[in-house]
Amino acid sequence: MPTQWKTHLDRLMARGASYADVRYYPRHDSNMLVMMNGNLMAFQQSGQSGFGVRVLADGAWGFAASSDLNSISAVFDQALSNAKSAATRTARPVRLSDKELLSGQFTSPCVMDPTQVPLDEQVGFLTRMDGLMNQQGVVQRMGFIMSESKRIEYYDTEGGRTEKEIRELFPNLMVQGLDTDRQMQSRHYSPPRLGMTRGWEIMQTEHFDAQAARIVRELNETLSAPPCPRDVRSVILMPDIMFLQVHETIGHPLELDRILGYELSYAGGSFVRLSDFGSLRYGSEMLNVRADALLENSPGSFGFDDEGVKAQNNMLIKDGILVGAITSRQMVMEANEKLGREEFTGSGGTARASAFNRAPLERMTNISVDPGTDGSLEDIISKTEKGIVLSGDKSWSIGSNREQFHFANHYGYLVEDGQKKGVVRSCAYSGDTLPFYNSLSMVGDASTWEVQYVPNCGKGMPSQVMQLGHGVPVCRFDNVKVGE
Amino acid sequence: MTRPDLKAALLALREYALQQGVKAHLSLHREDSHLVRLANGNVSLNTTEHITSLEVTAFDGPRSATSQRILDLSDTQALKATVDQAQAMLAHASPLSYTPTFPVIEKDSHHSARYDEALAYLSNEDILAYIQQSVSGLEDGDVTLGGSFSVGSTEEITLSTATPHAVSHRFSDAQVTLVLASEQDKWEINAEQSAEVLSDLKPQAMHARLAYLKDKYTTCSAVRLPLGPQRVVFGPAAIAEYLGFLTRFGLSGWFMKQGRGIHKARDVGKQVLSPLVTVTEGPDNQGAFPLPTDRYGRARQQQAWYDAGVLTGFQYDQDTADEFGEQPTGHDLGPSFALLPGDRPHTDMADLQTLAREEGDLLYVPYLHYTGVVSATQGLITGTSRFGALLFKQDGSIQVPYNVRFTEKLADIFGTKLQWLSRGQSVYNLSDTYGQRNPRALLVPSLMCCDGVKVEISNSSY
Repeated sequence: MPTQWKTHLDRLMARGASYADVRYYPRHDSNMLVMMNGNLMAFQQSGQSGFGVRVLADGAWGFAASSDLNSISAVFDQALSNAKSAATRTARPVRLSDKELLSGQFTSPCVMDPTQVPLDEQVGFLTRMDGLMNQQGVVQRMGFIMSESKRIEYYDTEGGRTEKEIRELFPNLMVQGLDTDRQMQSRHYSPPRLGMTRGWEIMQTEHFDAQAARIVRELNETLSAPPCPRDVRSVILMPDIMFLQVHETIGHPLELDRILGYELSYAGGSFVRLSDFGSLRYGSEMLNVRADALLENSPGSFGFDDEGVKAQNNMLIKDGILVGAITSRQMVMEANEKLGREEFTGSGGTARASAFNRAPLERMTNISVDPGTDGSLEDIISKTEKGIVLSGDKSWSIGSNREQFHFANHYGYLVEDGQKKGVVRSCAYSGDTLPFYNSLSMVGDASTWEVQYVPNCGKGMPSQVMQLGHGVPVCRFDNVKVGE
Repeated sequence: MTRPDLKAALLALREYALQQGVKAHLSLHREDSHLVRLANGNVSLNTTEHITSLEVTAFDGPRSATSQRILDLSDTQALKATVDQAQAMLAHASPLSYTPTFPVIEKDSHHSARYDEALAYLSNEDILAYIQQSVSGLEDGDVTLGGSFSVGSTEEITLSTATPHAVSHRFSDAQVTLVLASEQDKWEINAEQSAEVLSDLKPQAMHARLAYLKDKYTTCSAVRLPLGPQRVVFGPAAIAEYLGFLTRFGLSGWFMKQGRGIHKARDVGKQVLSPLVTVTEGPDNQGAFPLPTDRYGRARQQQAWYDAGVLTGFQYDQDTADEFGEQPTGHDLGPSFALLPGDRPHTDMADLQTLAREEGDLLYVPYLHYTGVVSATQGLITGTSRFGALLFKQDGSIQVPYNVRFTEKLADIFGTKLQWLSRGQSVYNLSDTYGQRNPRALLVPSLMCCDGVKVEISNSSY
């Protein structure tokens, strides 16, 4: 460990801290390019470096951060002071579960660092896409590239030490047009996992050209389509909406800090209770969900979390029964204490922070639904009597305990008696979480399974945005309320 | 320790930019932020940060490029490198279809009239004392405290290489949310407060609200509401949520020009909302962190944008005005909107018990959770109730409803469904803590009554 960090960490322990860690980001760069209707509306490069110190003293957390490396001592002192102040209102002292002492490195799988790609090439990509999307029926078009490259050095007073090089790239294409009622409809494309690395090498012209053409075509189909019927039918969720369904109504409610009431003032709580683990029927027997931070090439895979705990692959729901949660060192201790038994055997390695000036929180890793045995999309359609295939995440709204939801979609088409029927527009569906997952009746096989990336999951106070993933197949749910 | 002077640093950087032949807009943002987070009765995190960030936008005719960096003001190399980077990026920017207006600030403008150092640097002890006063006697074994107390200082200064004049402002602000929740039953109630100055913090008001709601939530029977229309009285948080969407999708010139807004250009001068609705924006809206000038140093005007329900125009920041050939309206910085109060004397949820006897059952919804935009062009918004909803019955009783979902159009909420607005007004703080500290708030009536608001989903428990 570099001397300066060790010296300051040791000093905190001598002054009464029971634990401390520091994350130093010597480099954290990001690019954002947005082209709308041919205009490069945002063309921005950002950089930051700094360090954040987290201290546990007298059973409470304090945190302080700065970009000024000349103020390290003062920042460490501030973090300790904050912890001691916090401890004056602490009835239940924070305790941390044991962890394996680790020293390791992780690098995101990446061939071409997207933040180092010549800007001409990035602008050229957007210009090309803009031209391809500038077609009849399209009144607005947008291309977006967000990329990030950061180095995180972590040290703690238990001897843990990790180094991570994280690279992320999130491109997005969107087209909008006016339907026959002069209402704006949209269609967009965010690529799922494309191969085993996710640097600029994924920006293959042939692939994105085809996607641009597809979303233009599907938008035009939507513009003249009749409205989505308002009734109850089976919904067949494509991966580009199934990921969000899982994110909002499985991932978030299974964050243990949320279950324990740590997010009430902002993101909300959870309908899940500690007593539900091992017994709650979350979904049909076809539902198998895991928190898999070992999934290759996804933002939810990061080697080690920001508490120095190794990334893991843990079941959350097995054969429809709730068996696990998204956990960190503090929350597993608290949950076990409240339950009076060891329900959780250790941290699930999910504590991450978005930047140097944020403290780590439990975040989703890759919350993934295992593929099933019901074949391809066409197989599922062929066995559906009255349904609708839904695609795209147009809007979402979830109850405060994640107990109910409303999703609107960009694209959908009806299914009747095993046959695809016409495209419909302004699709939406809603429901209650547990009955919905218990209505899961078909799960596509591996051929339908995609890893969808999430660039912007928000949580916490102060708030922070995290990147993660979801591996999901095509799934069919029955008796769902659909409509505009 | 004397803090580095932002203006001096920016002027020195301006000199460097001029020497390098860079035509640029430069902005420094400095914040001191302190947030105390609460959960299960404890302080779950006590965090402070001191962040300075520089943003440089370089211009060359129809091209522009932006470089931004969080840095230490004493790091001259980093400051200069940010200028160099923006200039280097310029060569790669594709030309816009218009030439963006380069900022020429004619004279210095500084706004800090409401800056209160005593608030900005409130001590840990004072924060905890406020919290304790707010919840005194209300916590027990089942009902525990959560929430957050965010307080701090924001300074921002901008200038360009055109002139040495600068536009700057300094705010102190606090945003407080305190939640009491039942671990057993999972109900939640809250109280919120916004502050520009120390005297805005009133723990007694927080305590009064929490005490009233806790009494109802522990003594009144819970009820599952039927699906279908309800007469709803919204509280400040819910009103602010709807108003935020209305001003964004209704008044933004950018959204209108893109065809993604609620209104069309031809709607200017038309009655588009209820005559009860007057929405103003400008430097007179105290409490909403108003600014007297825009980023270009031009004086901002107080104006009614919905005047008794008539749309009077659209708002354009400079860049949108440049793109579409419109006049800028001074909305390059965070706006300060107010929905003007009405004439109803009812100012608090407690008044609704009497009102319900006279007018029939009233569903009080203080807060909307996780709202989603189902259709921007229709102004169709969905969200669920949360934090202290109450059903005031005509027979004088009060019930506690489980949460419900509404999906309604803004033109209906502020139009045909709107019944009355209260005389009392509240400040609702909309600041978020994702990025830079930039305090924002809306002024809204304390109560807003709408009829025929449809319950679309009705929970069967908390």
